[in-house]
Amino acid sequence: MSAPDTVLKVADLGVSYGAATAISRLDFEIRRGEFVAILGPSGCGKSSLLNAISGLMAPSRGRVVVDGDELYLPRSRDPRLGYVFQAHRLLPWRTVKQNLEIVLAASDVPRETWDARIDEILGILHIAQFRDSWPMRLSGGQRQRVSIARALLVDPSYILMDEPLSTLDEVTARSLRQELTGICQRTGATVVFVTHSIREAVYLADRILILTRGPSTIFEDYRVPIERPRDYDDARIAEVEADIIRRIQAPWGLGPAEERQSA
Amino acid sequence: MRIAEKRAWSVSALLLLLPAWWIAHRSTTFIASPAEVFVHLPGFLADPGTWLNIGVTLWRVAAGLALGVAAGFFAAFAMRHSRLLREVLGYYVTGALRTPSAIAAILAVAIFRGSEAGYIAVVAFITFPYMAVGLRDGLESADRELDELAQIYHLGLWPQIRHITAPFVAPFIFSALRNAHALAWKVIVVAEIFGAARTGFGAAFEHAWNYMLMVEVHLWLLVFMAIVLLAEYGVIRRLETFVFRWRG
Ligand SMILES: Nc1ncnc2c1ncn2[C@@H]1O[C@H](COP(=O)(O)OP(=O)(O)O)[C@@H](O)[C@H]1O
Ligand SMILES: [Mg+2]
Repeated sequence: MSAPDTVLKVADLGVSYGAATAISRLDFEIRRGEFVAILGPSGCGKSSLLNAISGLMAPSRGRVVVDGDELYLPRSRDPRLGYVFQAHRLLPWRTVKQNLEIVLAASDVPRETWDARIDEILGILHIAQFRDSWPMRLSGGQRQRVSIARALLVDPSYILMDEPLSTLDEVTARSLRQELTGICQRTGATVVFVTHSIREAVYLADRILILTRGPSTIFEDYRVPIERPRDYDDARIAEVEADIIRRIQAPWGLGPAEERQSA
Repeated sequence: MRIAEKRAWSVSALLLLLPAWWIAHRSTTFIASPAEVFVHLPGFLADPGTWLNIGVTLWRVAAGLALGVAAGFFAAFAMRHSRLLREVLGYYVTGALRTPSAIAAILAVAIFRGSEAGYIAVVAFITFPYMAVGLRDGLESADRELDELAQIYHLGLWPQIRHITAPFVAPFIFSALRNAHALAWKVIVVAEIFGAARTGFGAAFEHAWNYMLMVEVHLWLLVFMAIVLLAEYGVIRRLETFVFRWRG
């Protein structure tokens, strides 16, 4: 039985590319308003997982249930979904506002509310002044903010984020990371956040699903024992990070040298 | 470069042609002097017959180009769609690309017996492979990542074509269009001369040449250059600047 506020349920999920298995078996549930990080080494199947959840690719096995609706077999209804990709994927030939509008046009949001909605979401992400700018005129951090705004725009049931801060410089990544939890609280968003950075996962998430090396399964469903608000440089974040590194040493096959690098 | 600076360079480039022209005039017997040609220019431009001939050629180029672009679009999508069509059309496209314009002109004129359709057909035939190849390459490099974006946000087929595919292939279309446009002007004149057309730029040019009206030959050349440059810079490049304004 699922809890009544379950937004996303993944059961017995497997993903293969031809003969190669990327994900051997995953089961987990995510509740409304939760921020869940998915942590795993490079190539363990994190992006494949998001693609299977979002319907970009069909899983080779298993079920994905969103808001009580089965996503596959039969494909009854596409959920409202937000996706923040590693690269921003804005259309360079459309202004910020126009990039958001095509998403609204494809949804059932009434047209007379578009402007207010766009202004509100851009305000939340502190990019209201770039409403009519071309994406090429924005910095990497600003573009990723637009991409997050786009994901939040249609009140999605949940948002998938695939290493969205990994291409940004550390200073920009820090400020966006800091804002992200606040943004999610304000909008009530449910987030599945893929990362390979342990500290980032500890800082952002309520729960961390730690995956094994590929073909992946869940190694541990880890509840982060630190109350909010959190401070990225807090010693307790570092402690939890060190704790996780200890646990994953065997399943990720880390030697002492690699361990220092991951930390 | 600032716009004013650019203009200044273009104008000086054109003015540099004048001394070259004058030297050519002095050292040959059949090239008229610039002064003589410019004296006759106002009268030439005031003659409605001039504009009739220009209009006819312009129409042939525009109609042929439009037809060639349409055929190129059709061929590109067909080649994208099926492997068999890709093979078969591939041969046609390569064949058309390699056909010398003069041969195409003679053939079209022979087949259509000098009728209006022949002139339009030859322009279409010469320009269509450029559009087919350009657009096919554009569609082929289409971005899988943007496809996924369209899927995630449930864009329908039409919004996807309009907002993603079309802007994505626009640079390919424009570069094909430029090539096709340049060739269209080259081939239409050849066709008009070979086809013994009664009207059109080529016809007027040949008439002047046959009767050794050298000033008129020069005038036609001047007007021709002006029109080709105007079409390129006044229409195609402007349109390009507008379409690609987001590049900033
Ligand atoms: N399109 C694909 N075709 C074949 N194999 C793929 C494809 N995409 C990913 N893989 C393989 O699946 C595994 C998981 O990849 P991915 O989900 O991208 O991992 P991660 O996002 O965790 O780095 C890798 O071994 C990768 O090589
Ligand atoms: Mg990945």
